[in-house]
Amino acid sequence: MAYIAPKDYSQDPEIVARVMKVMAGELDLSWMRDTAGAIHARPSQPHYGLTMDDINQGPYGPDRIPEIVRHNFSMAPRGAILPPGLPSLGYRLNRKSEVWSDLAGRLFEEGKSRRWAPAHDVPWDALETSGLSEPQQIAMRQLCTELVSIGLVCADVPARWVWQMNQEFHEIKYLLCVQMIDATRIAEAFRKRALVGRGGLGVDCKELGELLKMVFESGTYPCASASMNLVLFSWVQGLAGQLGATARNRADAYLAVRLAQDATRFVAYGVDHVRQLLRARPAEQESLNGHLDAIENGLVGWLGARETIEPLAILAGGVDPVIRSHARTADLHFVRCAAAGLGDRQGRSPIPRFLSLLGGHA
Amino acid sequence: MPIRFPSIEFFQALQQRTKDAHDVFEKLGYCDTSFGVCVGDQLYGIRFEVYDCVEVRAGGDPAGLDFVLSAPPTVWNDMVASIRKHGGAGIDHTLNTLTHLGDVVRVEYQDAEGHDKFYRFMATIQEFFDQAQHLDVVMG
Repeated sequence: MAYIAPKDYSQDPEIVARVMKVMAGELDLSWMRDTAGAIHARPSQPHYGLTMDDINQGPYGPDRIPEIVRHNFSMAPRGAILPPGLPSLGYRLNRKSEVWSDLAGRLFEEGKSRRWAPAHDVPWDALETSGLSEPQQIAMRQLCTELVSIGLVCADVPARWVWQMNQEFHEIKYLLCVQMIDATRIAEAFRKRALVGRGGLGVDCKELGELLKMVFESGTYPCASASMNLVLFSWVQGLAGQLGATARNRADAYLAVRLAQDATRFVAYGVDHVRQLLRARPAEQESLNGHLDAIENGLVGWLGARETIEPLAILAGGVDPVIRSHARTADLHFVRCAAAGLGDRQGRSPIPRFLSLLGGHA
Repeated sequence: MPIRFPSIEFFQALQQRTKDAHDVFEKLGYCDTSFGVCVGDQLYGIRFEVYDCVEVRAGGDPAGLDFVLSAPPTVWNDMVASIRKHGGAGIDHTLNTLTHLGDVVRVEYQDAEGHDKFYRFMATIQEFFDQAQHLDVVMG
């Protein structure tokens, strides 16, 4: 059922009387007296323009957000005067540590600044002489198909949570909106790569679907953030590195570098978000680690799926480079987990055992 | 006048190219990182702010850098030669290809976030090197 306003404004005599006074030139101007306070916001570094950090002063900055927001559940922007009777929008994420990262504002600005347009920026004509054999072409389209799924679901994940976040955390909400655009661009770019020329999509990978479902259905926002930003995008970054290293033309090289670039902003937020959460609430470490155990199990399923490992091996010219690349990605992933405050995950993660299995049969 | 590679003059010339080709770097977006290029045992420190390279220097403490790209001189020579031959790094000489498995160009780092800036800004860093196509370089 839709929300209904508490009164019929068009029939409210009090409002009509007030409007008539304004029309007669009798202005109240009480809203002009009740300002929240002036600041002197200017670009601190002219090359950057006016940044989020430049305007985050005094009552408008994030430093004064309490750990638990109880004073504002409305649509009012942070720092505005809150008259009595504002409607609650029913936010569920009202703890700063559940969502916060000091990096978010900068990553938001960076994401907009480093935008690219697949339609025009990818040198698509380079694919006319792609340098790929027919099996490699099919393998590339298969991996593109999986990246489209990843992009689509990773646009959905922030969309599932952003409207539940209190408006006081607007930097995070801004960033999540950029994440949706970035993830959508991944889906767009790799769908175009799969279909360009005499192309076609590949086979949907069931194990990838299971992984993405686990990420999407994470029960809390910290679990969703850790699983998507910290885990999944670490491996998307690694996949981008593999695609770049095996690229035989400028279009695929371009796509790989941009995929890595965009994936790494997700990773940067994930590391900083989890770190700030665990500094504020160390007891959350075990629940996050427990969730990541399940996510990494799903990750192993995806990496080991025929639809994933076989095209990677075909593009790389064998399974050895794939194993080495996965090992490098795993090393970086565990370093990031430790940096985020999750401790040493190698002992409990299924990833090292999976890599040992691959190495033993290579 | 030819510029020798590797040398501080080479990196200073690339720094100037980020200003001469400002539109190219502006389109790539913000790039905020301090990184190192280690040619053999010679370290060059490079700092980017916003769209421009704002500082290059020889030597310094690698611990203060986000990451260091380290390789023998022959690897760097081949990359610069490829850039000059193809008008930008050839497909086998991109930073992504050379660093991916860590056995041609090593990405050395103190922490994961420093390392990740290499990926966040790789397109800009690749373009920085690709500007060598406009220089008269002699391998030294």
